[in-house]
Amino acid sequence: MQPLGTKENSLFRSVVKFYESKQYKKGLKAADQVLRKVPNHGDTQAMKALILNSQGQSDEAFTLAKLALKNDMKSHVCWHVYGLLWRSVKNYEEAIKAYKFALRIEPDSQNILRDLALLQAQMRDYEGYVDSRSKMLNQRPQLRQNWTALAVAHHLSGNYKSAEHILNTYEETLKSPPPKTDIEHSEASLYKNTIIAESGDTERALKHLDEILPGNLDKTAVLELRAKYLLELGRNEEAVHAYKTLLDRNTEYRAYYEGVEKALGLNRSDAASLEQLAELYETFARKSDRLDAARRIPLDFLTGDKFKTAADSYLRRMLNKGVPSTFPNIKSLYVDHEKMEIIEKLALGYTAESSSNGSASAEVNGGHSDRFEESVLYFLTQHYNYHVSRDLEKALEYVDKLIEMNPKSVDYTQAKARIYKHYGNTKKASETMSRARELDVKDRYINTKCAKYQLRDNQNVAALETMSKFTRNETAGGPLGDLHDMQCMWYITEDGEAYQRQRNLGLALKRFTSVADIFEIWHDDQFDFHSFSLRKGQIRAYVDMVRWEDHLRDHPFFTRAALNAVKLYLELADNPELGNPNSSNGTDKLDAVERKKARQKAKKEQEKLDKAEAEKKLANAKKANATGADGEIKKEDPDPKGLLLLQTKEPLEASLRFLTPLLEFTPQNIDAQNLGFEVQFRRKKYLLALKSLLAAHSIDAENPKVHEQAIRFRQFVNDAKDLPSQVSEVLKSQLSFIPADTDLKRYNLEFMKRHSDNPSHIQSAYNVRLLLDPSSKSAVESDIQKLLDHPEITLEDGLRGLRYLDDWKSDEKTKDAYREAAAEEWPEASAFQKN
Amino acid sequence: MDIRVLKPSDIPHVQMANITNLPENYFCKYYLYHAMSWPQLSYVAVDVSRPPKTPYDPPKIVGYVLAKMEEEPTDGVQHGHITSLSVMRTHRRLGLAEKLMRQSQRAMAETFSAHYVSLHVRVSNTAALHLYRDTLGFTVDKIEAKYYADGEDAYSMRMELDQYKGKDLEDVEMEDQDEGDAVGSEGKAEGNKGEGGAEGAKKEASAGKKRKVKVGRALGVSGLVERNETGS
Repeated sequence: MQPLGTKENSLFRSVVKFYESKQYKKGLKAADQVLRKVPNHGDTQAMKALILNSQGQSDEAFTLAKLALKNDMKSHVCWHVYGLLWRSVKNYEEAIKAYKFALRIEPDSQNILRDLALLQAQMRDYEGYVDSRSKMLNQRPQLRQNWTALAVAHHLSGNYKSAEHILNTYEETLKSPPPKTDIEHSEASLYKNTIIAESGDTERALKHLDEILPGNLDKTAVLELRAKYLLELGRNEEAVHAYKTLLDRNTEYRAYYEGVEKALGLNRSDAASLEQLAELYETFARKSDRLDAARRIPLDFLTGDKFKTAADSYLRRMLNKGVPSTFPNIKSLYVDHEKMEIIEKLALGYTAESSSNGSASAEVNGGHSDRFEESVLYFLTQHYNYHVSRDLEKALEYVDKLIEMNPKSVDYTQAKARIYKHYGNTKKASETMSRARELDVKDRYINTKCAKYQLRDNQNVAALETMSKFTRNETAGGPLGDLHDMQCMWYITEDGEAYQRQRNLGLALKRFTSVADIFEIWHDDQFDFHSFSLRKGQIRAYVDMVRWEDHLRDHPFFTRAALNAVKLYLELADNPELGNPNSSNGTDKLDAVERKKARQKAKKEQEKLDKAEAEKKLANAKKANATGADGEIKKEDPDPKGLLLLQTKEPLEASLRFLTPLLEFTPQNIDAQNLGFEVQFRRKKYLLALKSLLAAHSIDAENPKVHEQAIRFRQFVNDAKDLPSQVSEVLKSQLSFIPADTDLKRYNLEFMKRHSDNPSHIQSAYNVRLLLDPSSKSAVESDIQKLLDHPEITLEDGLRGLRYLDDWKSDEKTKDAYREAAAEEWPEASAFQKN
Repeated sequence: MDIRVLKPSDIPHVQMANITNLPENYFCKYYLYHAMSWPQLSYVAVDVSRPPKTPYDPPKIVGYVLAKMEEEPTDGVQHGHITSLSVMRTHRRLGLAEKLMRQSQRAMAETFSAHYVSLHVRVSNTAALHLYRDTLGFTVDKIEAKYYADGEDAYSMRMELDQYKGKDLEDVEMEDQDEGDAVGSEGKAEGNKGEGGAEGAKKEASAGKKRKVKVGRALGVSGLVERNETGS
């Protein structure tokens, strides 16, 4: 520590105060005053660095902090600040190192210990966290939250016994019971209870729960836990009662109904139980006219005539009330084909009723309202639009009738747009959805749908324009900036996919990267709660959050963007020209015409976008400092179009940012494993490629991609000469589902025969045939077109066929012929139409 | 549709439901702030009938209520506040909004001894007004001029929560002690702010004009408290 004079010393203290109260300008001024007198004062330089960092001058801050350390290596302040700077740039390893240096100099500093502990919690270094929290507790045992914190550290590290022990020790120090409104105490007791239960001792957990139950403030949680414990312990009579109590409080939670069923020993798949089950739900339903669950659940387990009767009364009830969500509420029953047919017949029967007594106010069957008639037609529209029961012509017929009856209905017009979507006609779909939007321009839901349909039709500019009707457009970056700030995942992903379809790979990659960035923000978001939650005392919620954050990236928002990004990087790896902004985007001569068209369209879109952006900039020019919605100072994005991302020299390495979490958090996702193989194979990491192939094989041995990859890999292994012997040993022994002496052509033919009723498998077999025999190209091309006549073919298969032709670099004539044939099969589908 | 308490893992889809339906939007951390401060108060409506497509399918959220306790009530009376409520257009007329509200309101009274609950609603939003006033029993307290960013006025509404006062656990056949009058349990939970100390690099909220909440993704949690008035 460098000594200061009295005046400077008090100035220094004011620097700290100004920093803590975020009066940065004053803080800097005071720091400079000290430094004028003592230019090399390390602590002051460090504090100044901290303030500079808070003002967004990270580089200057680091330079100054390093200088401070040079001047005063033995100052804990300098090391602490150095750690804080690393923390602010999210380099937690370096930050932890710096904090540990600081602690070596000042072992008792609560502030440094706390900062270290928070990072250890964030990094899931539970051993270190227990250590730091023990020290903090020793220093300040009078604070309850220090006890709780150590218990949490033990708990998260899996040590239930120590966790409980710490909480008990604190409770024993309480001289009188805390007041009943003490939420921290109430929560701490429940937290302890969940620890006991998680340790597996349900008996003791129940006993403890009964002790803390009177007066505990979270009644819902207490009742839920009690019912659960009773059921687990086989105290069924009490469990029934407990679950019924819960149902009195909340009639719409299936877990409670299931609890009652289990406690009564009823089993839905056991015919003997069905009678009792039906009765049980009837008693529930009788309690109130407003319950849905008690009426809807029996449809899940009833069958045959009983199902028909129950479904009839359920549907009539809902349709008479005019509930537009009746169909979404029952469509899951369609996994059972018989139930689907019964429901279809019932609904068709209703149309006959409503038309027969449609004349004036006939009151034949209890009197149906117009509402009933409309509801039935809307139900049938949705029925014939749903993939399991799809008949788009019928759906269109019904919806047109509805629109005639009620031309101003947003719902009906929206339904019509969805029908066009299922026809594959993205253009008509988006036009129709735009009409739906215009029917209620103040409704954001329909506005959102409209933008989504525009993106599906590759109209990025129009979609953003639509979104901008509800975004905060004064945000830096305009509407798109606001959508990023508000973490609007679906839009960013769909925008990227639309660019990907248009071959604007830069912007596509830009968007997928943004999604990954937001997931990083979500991961960082938990940081403050490591301390906040201890102050709030809501520990169970905190533990829930920590556990969620641990597998954050298994979320489909991440998966979808990540799969797209990896595919894009694979393309870049196979065709480095794509990353070159001056190249013609990978045009090969064969399909020059098509590429040119696509490019021109993309260029037009881009020009529109540029123009819009330029106008925005002009409008914002007056605001000198662009700030985001959250007051952060926004730096200008140096790569708004993603061109720098595209120019990566190592696309395969770059893809790992997406691939690694995919494989770690969603190993059961077969698409992820398929891509894992592709990337690792190209990286020549053959054992990792094998690992993904085997994982995919165990998820679905008959998956078309697995089939293609297995043959490619077998061929490679058989031909490989210069592999390290260990690697080739493992490959030989592990790739056993397709042995070395396999006749690959025959293997492929057998696969095709096995799956003769599945077009996607057949396409895959064609692809393999071409791989094994390049001379079969024209035969394969003609076969894949003939496949369009396959009785089971879907639009999705048809589109995939076109992508295979792309992969095979088939010429334009072949593709035109394919498109023409496909257009006969799907006359509405935009993808096969000319232009 | 299930009605159950919101879990942290629900947040991505709650956030999506919000930005799909409503003009007032928040980033993830603001939802977390609710879920970590008053985990008992926010509820979701979940479509549980769909068979999962992958082992990683998150629950399909079709509606939510995001609720809180007023941290520093100007009238000194403990009360709850509805930050946001919405139900997908595809799932209307099932009574979900009402059911979500009732669960949240009871939890406010039971867990935090709230005496009443307040909320804001756009004066043009007749459907919501109908729900709050006619179905749930809220009354209009006052009109707040230009409350929303686009200049629209808000009804400031409230509802007393007396009906939920201490009567529920009797069924469990346990000794149920009287709740008594609860005072200031909230203040206590906030007590030790001192620990925050050198938490460091927090930035000042340059609160947007007359705009709620959209401050501070990079802020510490304390910066996420609603701000109604202009900063400067």
